[in-house]
Amino acid sequence: MKWLRRRRRTAEEELDDEIRFHLAEEARLRGESGASPDQAAASARRDFGNVTLVTELTRAAWGGRALDDLAQDLRFAWRLLKRSPGFTAVAVATLALAIGATTALFTVVDDVLLRPLPFPESERLVMVWERSPLGNPTNSVNVQNYLDWRARNRSFRDIALVQPVPMNLVGPAGAEQVRGLLVTGEFFDVLGVPPLVGRVFRRGDDVDGAPRTVVLGYGVWQRFYGGSPDVVGRKVAVNANDCEIVGVMPPGFALPGQPAEVFAAYQIDPAQAPRSGRSASTVARLRPGVTVRAAQAEMSAIAAQTERERPENNTRWGANVVPLREQAIGEVRSGLLVLFAAVVCVLLIACANIASLLIMRASARSREMTVRLALGAGRWRLVQQLVVESVLLAALGGGLGLLLARTGVPAIIAMFPSNFPLPRAEEIRVDRAALGWTAAVSLGAGLFFGLLPGLQAGRRGLADALRSGARVVSAGRRLRTVLVVAEVTLAVVLVVAAGLLIRSLAHLHAVDPGFRAERVLTLRMFILPTKYSDPDRRVAVLQQMLERVRQLPGVTSAGAIHFLPLSGANSGTDFHRLDRPAPPPGQGEATAVSVIMPGYFRTMGIPLRAGRDLDERDGLRSQRVAVVNEAFVRRIFPGEEPLGKRIFVGWGYGGGPRVEPGFEIVGVVGNVRHDGLHTEPTPTVFLSHAQQPGYMASLVVRTAGDPLALASAVRAEMARVDPEQGVLTVGTMQGLLADSIARPRLQAVLVGAFAALALVMACVGLYGVLAYSVEQRRREMGVRVAIGASPRALLGMVVGEGVRLTATGLLLGLAGALVATRFLVSLLYGVGPTDPLVFLGVAAVLLIVAAAASYVPARQAMRVDPVVVLRDE
Amino acid sequence: MARGGRYQNRIELLQGTLDMLILRTLQWGPRHGHGIGLAIRAGSEDALCVDHGSLYPALHRLREQGWIAAEWRLTENKQRARYYRLTPAGKKQLAAERSRWERLVAAIAGVMRPA
Repeated sequence: MKWLRRRRRTAEEELDDEIRFHLAEEARLRGESGASPDQAAASARRDFGNVTLVTELTRAAWGGRALDDLAQDLRFAWRLLKRSPGFTAVAVATLALAIGATTALFTVVDDVLLRPLPFPESERLVMVWERSPLGNPTNSVNVQNYLDWRARNRSFRDIALVQPVPMNLVGPAGAEQVRGLLVTGEFFDVLGVPPLVGRVFRRGDDVDGAPRTVVLGYGVWQRFYGGSPDVVGRKVAVNANDCEIVGVMPPGFALPGQPAEVFAAYQIDPAQAPRSGRSASTVARLRPGVTVRAAQAEMSAIAAQTERERPENNTRWGANVVPLREQAIGEVRSGLLVLFAAVVCVLLIACANIASLLIMRASARSREMTVRLALGAGRWRLVQQLVVESVLLAALGGGLGLLLARTGVPAIIAMFPSNFPLPRAEEIRVDRAALGWTAAVSLGAGLFFGLLPGLQAGRRGLADALRSGARVVSAGRRLRTVLVVAEVTLAVVLVVAAGLLIRSLAHLHAVDPGFRAERVLTLRMFILPTKYSDPDRRVAVLQQMLERVRQLPGVTSAGAIHFLPLSGANSGTDFHRLDRPAPPPGQGEATAVSVIMPGYFRTMGIPLRAGRDLDERDGLRSQRVAVVNEAFVRRIFPGEEPLGKRIFVGWGYGGGPRVEPGFEIVGVVGNVRHDGLHTEPTPTVFLSHAQQPGYMASLVVRTAGDPLALASAVRAEMARVDPEQGVLTVGTMQGLLADSIARPRLQAVLVGAFAALALVMACVGLYGVLAYSVEQRRREMGVRVAIGASPRALLGMVVGEGVRLTATGLLLGLAGALVATRFLVSLLYGVGPTDPLVFLGVAAVLLIVAAAASYVPARQAMRVDPVVVLRDE
Repeated sequence: MARGGRYQNRIELLQGTLDMLILRTLQWGPRHGHGIGLAIRAGSEDALCVDHGSLYPALHRLREQGWIAAEWRLTENKQRARYYRLTPAGKKQLAAERSRWERLVAAIAGVMRPA
């Protein structure tokens, strides 16, 4: 390196010598033709032109020059940044925040939305659902319909039936229930994932009467068997049935949206397959060359056949083919894209701000630039130096931003609710793609805000620059004005979006769920079908557990329901009034149905409006009774007395003969928003577990103190009734309530944070432009004061300029928001996308903030002393 | 502009012809930069003026290509000057440029011939 530098130095000296000789020779010639030596030298120099420029150009022709310049520029830029730590800190922090936020969200978006699912040829995977008469496009599937689909379709290589069921395992720490999946033999073939150990299911495993087999998920294998490879062939008690373990799946294996830790063969007897009720789903692999559209056409035709063949169950039911990928990310997509758009806005604002800062610096350094141009620096050389400066800034910001993203990604994921259908959340981390993204964003940002002021500095003519001296460089100001208006525009769009989301969240918070969520412990379980196949025992086990739990100190009351409100699960059934003629089969009205144990309403704080609660009188052998909610009364018995009326309820009859006398309505309770705070309460019939015992049950326990503190005591009482009966999940109603609005909260919080960031940045930008404008117009202000302008007039002038800039951005932003918020509609609750309150509020907030941002520079303008300013000139 | 007025009798050099002119000038023997400029000017009867901002970069370019070589020598006035001379490769290059140039001139002349 040293000799290279020495060589370069000699080369430069030689070039200088050469030019010196050239000038001398020229002067000599001119002297010979009669000019005085001084004149000759001067004219030689004049004709030669700019000596430094010629040297520069010649040097540029040498190889390796660009690299040398780059190193020099980097050193220079670094010194400059160190010299103005305030500017550097603001710029780097702005960029780090913006780049960190974009990288974090890019990581999430990339992992969730952009990557293919982890199955071979995953684009050929689809789910086939039933389309309900009420318009639910992804309704669960009836088993007999599945069998018909499987037998008749030609579109799928294979189609598997999947039924989520809790599975009760007895492990080292007692009975435990885990999420399980009953799957037909095609399941693993469809997904195409080989087992880690042993084998997966084959045809024959799923035939009724075949030996019971299970495939373990990786987690259970580790927890229960310590990852031992010789589990294959061992017996395990699943739901109190002895099953043989045939294989173990690799970590992370899951059907998107249906997490499971144990897979059991779904053994179907085609002759006795349920012909009513829908609770399963399907996953299928398209044959090569078959499109989703073609498969849909065929499935619609098959659904039309099954509708004709079994009208009692299939009237007005269709089939719907959904690509698995769409199924997996469908719900998440809009929310994540909105967040990503928000973050890109923040990044753009940050860039605009830094571009503005750099233009300001470039203007302040216009003298330096002019001098360097006059001394012969190449124009592109100056541009290059400015670009190097900003790329250095961007690199610093990008590096810090990456660190932020590394901590930010887990933080964002932690904010996701437990029920957030975020596929593969546990796999998300900042990886090479995100690194690439950060690099691209930083570099792009660096070039963007380096080129703007760079070109600005480069374009101005030398003579022009010298003439204007240190006075206002109007082109720079115009560009900065445009940038500030753009910043305000983007910020307004973001703040409007945040305002809408926050109002939605406020609406959701204000919604009465219909129950009192505080201090209610919930324990979900699946009653073991093998031990409790006898309905009497199924009733008794739950009754005994509740009685024991009620005795516990600290427990005020206890009850049970088959699916908890806000848990995402609900049941529906057809029904009709028995005082009216029965509708044709399959055409009765639909209602939600909940099966409860006495004490449920009291424990949940659901008010009894009329009649009585279900109680011990209502047993398996007494008159069937039902409690309905107010929504049910309003819809079915408007203006009538519901108490004492009899209704037929399809629930629990399994398609058998529909016998009198049906259910007598004995009570009316208040409405509960079972399916989410954003939904209207649905008409609901409450039946008693004692009369309609099922296998799903969630205990609800109201406590005097912290409910979770009692969890183990309650669990112990339940184990005393039956130690083999495990519990699936333990939680609280408040947890469910929080989870149910976690997604809107996450969106409101994140978009709100981004909007606040955007607003602050836009204000900093506005402040910068005004402060600089005041600085540049000191002379003009001094003159104004000298000829009699009042300080108030100056204040008005500056604040007016700020407000005018803001108002322009505001109008553009509001117009933009009118368009942009349409994409938010699906995320909003209780507000329209053009909510006038939000739009007006944002306008007011922005003008106030803008006035405040203008006030500081305006105060400086007021303090302009004409004497001082004029003396300066 | 003043500059435009002063040089209005002069012709802007065609792109790429400067290198050829320099090589051609050196055919009669080594010269220094200033001399090359003078020779081109004189040879064209003042019609061609070489911009110094182009001449010296061009000399370095040609040297990098190996078409000319440079050495420091004393002039008749005992001043140190860098003299450039044609290398064998430069001679070949000049021949190539010349034939290319002649083809170009013939082609242009053909187009510009009065109808």
